[in-house]
Amino acid sequence: MNEASAVFPREVHWEGDGTHRIPFLAYTSDELHKRELERFFYKGHWCYVGLEAEIPNPGDYQRTAVGERSVIMVRDAGGAINVLENVCAHRGMRFCRERHGNRKEFVCPYHQWSYTLKGDLQGVPFRRGVKQDGQVHGGMPADFKTADHGLTRLKVATRGGVVFASFDADVESFEDYLGPAILGYFDRLFNGRKLTILGYNRQRIPGNWKLMQENIKDPYHPGLLHTWFVTFGLWRADNKSQLKMDGRHRHAAMISTRGQAGNAEEVTQVSSFKASMQLNDASFLDIVPEPWWGGPTAVMTTIFPSVILQQQVNSVSTRHIQPNGHGSFDFVWTHFGFEDDSDEMTQRRLRQANLFGPAGFVSADDGEVIEFSQQAFESKPFHRALAELGGHEVENTEHMVTETLIRGMYRYWREVMEA
Amino acid sequence: MSEPHWVDALSVDDLPADDVIGVRVDGREVAIYAVGDAVYATDNICTHGQARLCDGFLDGHEIECPLHQGKFDVRDGKPLCEPVTDALRSYPAKIEGRRVYLRLD
Repeated sequence: MNEASAVFPREVHWEGDGTHRIPFLAYTSDELHKRELERFFYKGHWCYVGLEAEIPNPGDYQRTAVGERSVIMVRDAGGAINVLENVCAHRGMRFCRERHGNRKEFVCPYHQWSYTLKGDLQGVPFRRGVKQDGQVHGGMPADFKTADHGLTRLKVATRGGVVFASFDADVESFEDYLGPAILGYFDRLFNGRKLTILGYNRQRIPGNWKLMQENIKDPYHPGLLHTWFVTFGLWRADNKSQLKMDGRHRHAAMISTRGQAGNAEEVTQVSSFKASMQLNDASFLDIVPEPWWGGPTAVMTTIFPSVILQQQVNSVSTRHIQPNGHGSFDFVWTHFGFEDDSDEMTQRRLRQANLFGPAGFVSADDGEVIEFSQQAFESKPFHRALAELGGHEVENTEHMVTETLIRGMYRYWREVMEA
Repeated sequence: MSEPHWVDALSVDDLPADDVIGVRVDGREVAIYAVGDAVYATDNICTHGQARLCDGFLDGHEIECPLHQGKFDVRDGKPLCEPVTDALRSYPAKIEGRRVYLRLD
């Protein structure tokens, strides 16, 4: 029985010296998944939790997640944002069930322990016991201190209206975490204008969470998988493009610029590669260039491990990765706009959000290929995937014909995971 | 001007010393507090959770709700700390001839 299994190995094995051949086991092992949660989501990293515009008023809250842990993002009476773990200090119940709302306090329904919006325990039923016939029975012991039993409170960073949180009190600053190059693209999108929430999409994708990071670090597939892009001229091999990473290769930006982006008519009247196909409703492609783009027409930013920042022409969204087990994750899209948008621009952003969103003409494809990849990984975890387009190296490039960002992410993964 | 209407609530002998008792007067649930020689009355149900203040703990002029430790001043029903934010209704109370009288109007 000591014989190592040929099909179901215990240890990951990397072929060669780089990260251009990724073992299937990295997507199928529960043990590695737990190590990822611990080392990426719960320690040393900032995770996306939401947008300030989701909780504009005191008492507003939004239930969200960091890795597989449920948390609540809430604005307290003083206007500060707190991120609290959704686990009662008493019996551990995930007490908050509503996705969002407004509260003066949080009360666990099990035994009605009540907490302030800062997470401090404020009320414990029968703490001093129950009076009966002139006597007091039970109650918490004299050494019970409410101050010792607040909710777990995360460290919070806000920038440009976006809220990140960390369970790790010693995590580096959010700005250092992103690094200057990626911070520049973050600030391009979140440049201080107040955000408005347009709506949400939620999907559960039966595949490993890293596959979604890889999908947005992979400029090889869009023109090949998303035939809709090509048919209607949104993706062209001659797009001017760049791939940039932070110093540790965990975050990345895929930046592309359409040649005639300055001319709305040209963009709208794209010449189709299948000239006979036409949109029934051409308003889907009613693209209007915006000054803040500063050139690029699309920037897709992967912030490792938890979120993707999407700017595809006029559609702007965050896509939040919430794993549940090694083989599944929830993908929560928050579509937003800016307070100075005209009604017309808001409608345009919504239409384009539908176009690019999980039930639209583009990302529905990604959910499926991730599912089918995971199915194969589970069936033969001894095998490996290839990421060799553009060579074996990890480097920023001025073109898109490379899988360098995936190799970069796995270089970082191997460092942190020691695997 | 009609005379104030005082309702007989209970006997002084039933009033626990420096403590609280719940009584039903004219169909209303009232908490009556004895603080030294003085007597005070408020609604018995907490304005926060579903709890009776007569099951709570009286410290001087402060009644602490047994459920979430919200506190009220028994003299005027004012909330003193979170989580309670709304005042209790309070009622004038007096002792006459070893009976406790309340004005509920």
